Amino acid sequence: MSKPIIELKNFSYRYTHDSPIVLKNITFTINEGDFVGIIGCNKAGKSTLCKSIVGILPFVAGGEWDGEVIVDGKSLNETKGEGVTDVIGIVFQDAESQFTQSTVEDEIAFAMCNFGYDRELMRERVRFAATECDIYDLLGRSPYDLSGGQQQRLAVACILALQPRVVILDESTSQLDPLGRDNIFKLVSKLHEMGKTVIMVDHNIEKIADSADKVLVLHDGEVVMFDEKHKVFSNKQLLNEHFVRLPQVADAAIDLSKSFKGKGDIPITLEEAEKYFGALKRGA
Amino acid sequence: MAREVIRTENLVHVYPNGNVRALRGVNMTIYEGEIVSIIGQNGSGKTTIVRHFNGLLRPTEGKVYLFGEDTANKTVAQMSQRCGYVFQNPNHQIFCTTVREELEIAAKYFNFTEEETRKNCDEVIEMMNLKDIIDAHPMTLDYTTKKVLTIASVLVFKPEVLILDEPTGGLDEVGRRMLTNVLKMMHDNGHTVIIISHDMDYVAENSTRVIMMAQGQVQDDATPREIFKDQEKLKFSQIDPPQITNLDFYLTDRKEDSILSVSEFVRKYEK
Repeated sequence: MSKPIIELKNFSYRYTHDSPIVLKNITFTINEGDFVGIIGCNKAGKSTLCKSIVGILPFVAGGEWDGEVIVDGKSLNETKGEGVTDVIGIVFQDAESQFTQSTVEDEIAFAMCNFGYDRELMRERVRFAATECDIYDLLGRSPYDLSGGQQQRLAVACILALQPRVVILDESTSQLDPLGRDNIFKLVSKLHEMGKTVIMVDHNIEKIADSADKVLVLHDGEVVMFDEKHKVFSNKQLLNEHFVRLPQVADAAIDLSKSFKGKGDIPITLEEAEKYFGALKRGA
Repeated sequence: MAREVIRTENLVHVYPNGNVRALRGVNMTIYEGEIVSIIGQNGSGKTTIVRHFNGLLRPTEGKVYLFGEDTANKTVAQMSQRCGYVFQNPNHQIFCTTVREELEIAAKYFNFTEEETRKNCDEVIEMMNLKDIIDAHPMTLDYTTKKVLTIASVLVFKPEVLILDEPTGGLDEVGRRMLTNVLKMMHDNGHTVIIISHDMDYVAENSTRVIMMAQGQVQDDATPREIFKDQEKLKFSQIDPPQITNLDFYLTDRKEDSILSVSEFVRKYEK
């Protein structure tokens, strides 16, 4: 049984005293090694949730909150968010706005410099992170000259250099072309295989269904569902009620279920669907 | 036969300081009432070509005709009033301090009367559900809402051609449905929409015609059903068709028409 790494207990949040409540009494646990996809429509509170998990909200940017966020056994109410970056790294949608340095190499080293890392260790970590994120050839380039996909990989490299146990990506792929997007999903799947906990907010349902283990559906500041991905994506009615799309193959299997029942559970990936619908294959 | 809206003749574009020929002799005609999706890998020339339609870019060689007229001596203002362009990144388009101002600015610039501007704005505010944020500063809005605002601010001056560069990037399901309503409204009014997109689910379900570009040239030009039929060509162009189309490829005979949506799949396989 893996141990909890992130726990939210009755956590509520609003940006200012007179603004609406953005997160409403949220309780869930993410275990070490999980790959959690967070989905939900616009204004569901997805980004606010990510920022609350790392303590930016409320401990850096302010706001009112109730309940608590516990990271690696420590309540952020007590630590005031200090030390979270030792455990979690976060990448935002607009990676470019995170950059401050003139070369990719300095950018990856920047946070380590601030934390006073030893020079040799920094070099080693830059090499490791750049290699893992496939940007080693770009170390001398300016972060601002990179393509969108390369910038996102650099942003991941920056946090990877700090060797966090949890990696959060908040809509990192929404501005990328299919190749750039696939590379980010491949990269996070690799990090997951390395044992890291991954939390990914993304609108690409098919990719989330391919990569994540668990899916959390957020709507209007509340957790609608948080479960193993097949359980989530087979509940078409609940997802539709909350304006969330299903993977196309799951949608088709559910709609056809009155006239055709395939092998096993409702498929959520193309590979699963090919098995599920195998009996319908020409010549089968 | 529908009226010709845009025509390019041997259109070549070479960016300054570069030896790259971003467009290499493109001949393309777009007709009134079409919803045309232009697809292709990054660098294939998609954005470069549409930026010729409103004068943001000028041909290095060749001609661009808008509603039958040569655009060589037309200003960006003259072209963009008839050919509204929505940028991929809303932050590159928004510059006013309130949502209302952002909506009104282009109409004012194009000398619409105050009454016309207000009427058009009200229609768009209603359609795009912007009422609650009308006094907000656009830069305080989330990405999706900004994106909706940029589409809305172009619709206010009622262009006959609407060009959308990656409209679904970052849009949630509600935003996608709203976008589909905009396409329907344009189509019902006999107007033309040109979409640049990597989102094949959206392209397959919402276009009347698909133009596939590669290396600055038109590689294929057909209905979405024809485009998504040729698996070999799709693979060669690194275009990944919708998941449901791929599933149908696996189950069926290649010679059959391709499936473009879940509902078509269900109809085909329902007993």
